[in-house]
Amino acid sequence: MKCEQYEGLFAGWINNELKPAERETLEQHLNGCAACREELASMQQLWAMMDEVEVPEPSASMKTDFTAMLNDFKATEANKKGSSAGIRQQLGWLLQWRQKWPLAYTFAIILVSFGCGYLFFNLKGGSKQDKQMADLTTQVHELKQTMALALLENPSASERIRGVSYTTEIKHADKEVIDALLATLNNDPNVNVRLSTLDALTHLAGHPEVRLGLVQSITTQDSPLMQSAIADVMLKLQEKSSVKSFKELLKQKDLDHGVRDKIKETITQLI
Amino acid sequence: MNSLADNTIMLKVKAGDLDKMGLLFERYHRPLYGFLFHMTYQRETSEDLVQQVFYKMLKYRETFTATGEFVHWMYSIARNTLKDQGKSLKQRVKHENTDDHTERLSGGLTPEEQLEKKQAKLGLYKAMEKLSDSHREVLTLSKFQELKYQEIAHILDISEIAVKTRAHRAMQELKSIYEKAER
Repeated sequence: MKCEQYEGLFAGWINNELKPAERETLEQHLNGCAACREELASMQQLWAMMDEVEVPEPSASMKTDFTAMLNDFKATEANKKGSSAGIRQQLGWLLQWRQKWPLAYTFAIILVSFGCGYLFFNLKGGSKQDKQMADLTTQVHELKQTMALALLENPSASERIRGVSYTTEIKHADKEVIDALLATLNNDPNVNVRLSTLDALTHLAGHPEVRLGLVQSITTQDSPLMQSAIADVMLKLQEKSSVKSFKELLKQKDLDHGVRDKIKETITQLI
Repeated sequence: MNSLADNTIMLKVKAGDLDKMGLLFERYHRPLYGFLFHMTYQRETSEDLVQQVFYKMLKYRETFTATGEFVHWMYSIARNTLKDQGKSLKQRVKHENTDDHTERLSGGLTPEEQLEKKQAKLGLYKAMEKLSDSHREVLTLSKFQELKYQEIAHILDISEIAVKTRAHRAMQELKSIYEKAER
């Protein structure tokens, strides 16, 4: 075997890493090879001498430098982690602001408050205003209705006519208004009031009770003007149930001749 | 041996307990400094490099897998750090005044009594300085860091046989430089 093949074992020998079998192999070679014996001995000596080679002590600042580096590193890592830490920092900054510039801080708070208030009322106010308008409209309606009813009771005929005209402005006339108008139609002493009432009720002909009231009113009217006007309205409304009432009216002996002819004509047109 | 505990500690660092790196610094900053000093022969540079290695171990803690020993990982990072600075370091080493070493090594010793031993030590020191980087590296790791050839093979990422051969060649080179200087 050539000496070079033992090189690896030399390294193991000086480092005291050889297994017993390897050690035996090397020893056998060394017994017969003076050159290798000499080389290994000098190598062993040099290896031992290396123990004396000193390494200077690291300076004391190393530990503090390391601690500083570690803290720096932890801080940068914390900064990287999420925005929650960032927000907290910003809040801290705002609080600092409060201490450094109290006036600026106060102004900032006032501005923010106004902004919030503006937003709040703008959002909430819209629906509130609408509701107020609706309430107001209802109140005006109720007022008009009350006024109309009150005016119908007024001793002055012209005021009663005003009251009747108010009822036409009421969009959704309720039963109270209709009853009042029908009562005026049948009982009001002034024919002009009754005529304007008839006109007002014609606008409310959509209500069945208005139609019924008008038909029932035919026999109660004694004025030829009213009888003629009702006949016109019945024709206009094509109210067939009124024929029976008109026939009864024809039975009245003191009925105006002109009215009698008009009613006869109306009956034939309705049938 | 601390090896099992080293890995456990490093895994804690990896999990986010960064303060635990302080324990590993206590254990390893001296050996690491020793290795880096033999590779550079500059004290301040070596201290800077130690900090850099610990910084890198923190920064790249995710790459620690605990499949190998912590120290192997540490020396691998140290070697890479050296490589990064390699060229500039070599320039400086060449210009460094060797009298500085003479002064430093003789400090604290009584020259008259131990003159001969000191001379030999200094000669060996200078001889080591003249070794090629790869030879000095393998000798430093085996002799001063007291690592086994198998461990060095892990760090250098070469076979154990290659490490042994390199160690033998390194000793031959050292002997030749040293003997030349002595004559």
